[in-house]
Amino acid sequence: MIKARLLLFHGSRLLLGGIFLYAGMLKAADPVAFAGQVANYQLLPYAWNYLTAALLPYLEILCGLLLLLNRWVRPATLVLGVLNLVFIAALASLIVRGIDIDCGCFRPDADSHTSPLSALLRDLGIMVLVLTTWFLERRKNREERA
Amino acid sequence: MNDRCAPGGSAWRRLLLEAVVICAVAMAVGLSMNYRMVMNAFTGKSVAPEPLRTTTVEVAAFPDPVELEEVRELLAAGALLVDARHGDEYRQAHLQGAVSLPLGELESLLEAFRKEVAADRVLITYCTGFGCPDSFDLGVLLLQAGYQQVRVFEGGFPEWRDAGLPVQGEGL
Repeated sequence: MIKARLLLFHGSRLLLGGIFLYAGMLKAADPVAFAGQVANYQLLPYAWNYLTAALLPYLEILCGLLLLLNRWVRPATLVLGVLNLVFIAALASLIVRGIDIDCGCFRPDADSHTSPLSALLRDLGIMVLVLTTWFLERRKNREERA
Repeated sequence: MNDRCAPGGSAWRRLLLEAVVICAVAMAVGLSMNYRMVMNAFTGKSVAPEPLRTTTVEVAAFPDPVELEEVRELLAAGALLVDARHGDEYRQAHLQGAVSLPLGELESLLEAFRKEVAADRVLITYCTGFGCPDSFDLGVLLLQAGYQQVRVFEGGFPEWRDAGLPVQGEGL
């Protein structure tokens, strides 16, 4: 694998891991407030918002950690890719339904307001990181085995 | 050649298995960290932030939290629901039978409220749920204003609505 490609792989892996570790830790610190933000999407029944708020941050933290530690990179990237698709679908549903709320992507009690559209664009950027990490990891593995 | 260039069936199975393991570990950690919150949410108990609970126990002049089932019993016995949210939110949708008393406008509205509502009536305050502090703060102020029986429904508007109970307002 040429050096530039290897650098790109590690760069996108570390960035992706860092983003999700950071996002997960902020949410895990205040699960009740995060449940309120999940509820703002008006997609889940009452108690399921709490279940989502209890589990999702730890999934983000675990995948972020694995990516940062360069362990189980492919499954962690796969999980984050699927998660990111779910986020994109949820944000798109907000736009379609005309609901303007804070996306709840990072800090649950933030004063700053990230609109659904800008959050969706950011998630598309994260999707590029997911795909870069995924395909470069596969390529690296192939070349190492060859 | 094949198993070098593209992941074969077994490679995909292994990948999926690893992804499932990641999800299972995250779920186990998440559930063990937030077990009480999730159980309370699913059994209809209030999910209040811990600091609020301790202060409630320590100081008698704070309103007691009340859960959905008890709210319904109290309403049947003549209690009054008091909406602590902004007037706009109240107009959009509120619990059926609730009166609006936004926390931010309490000073100007309290006199009129006192004339309408007797001091011995049971009041149940609520706001947007999920740890929103307004219903609790309003409850404290109503106790200080001389109301003797003030309770806080911490599940608030979302728990009521999602339980399929009647709501009314212009935004419906």
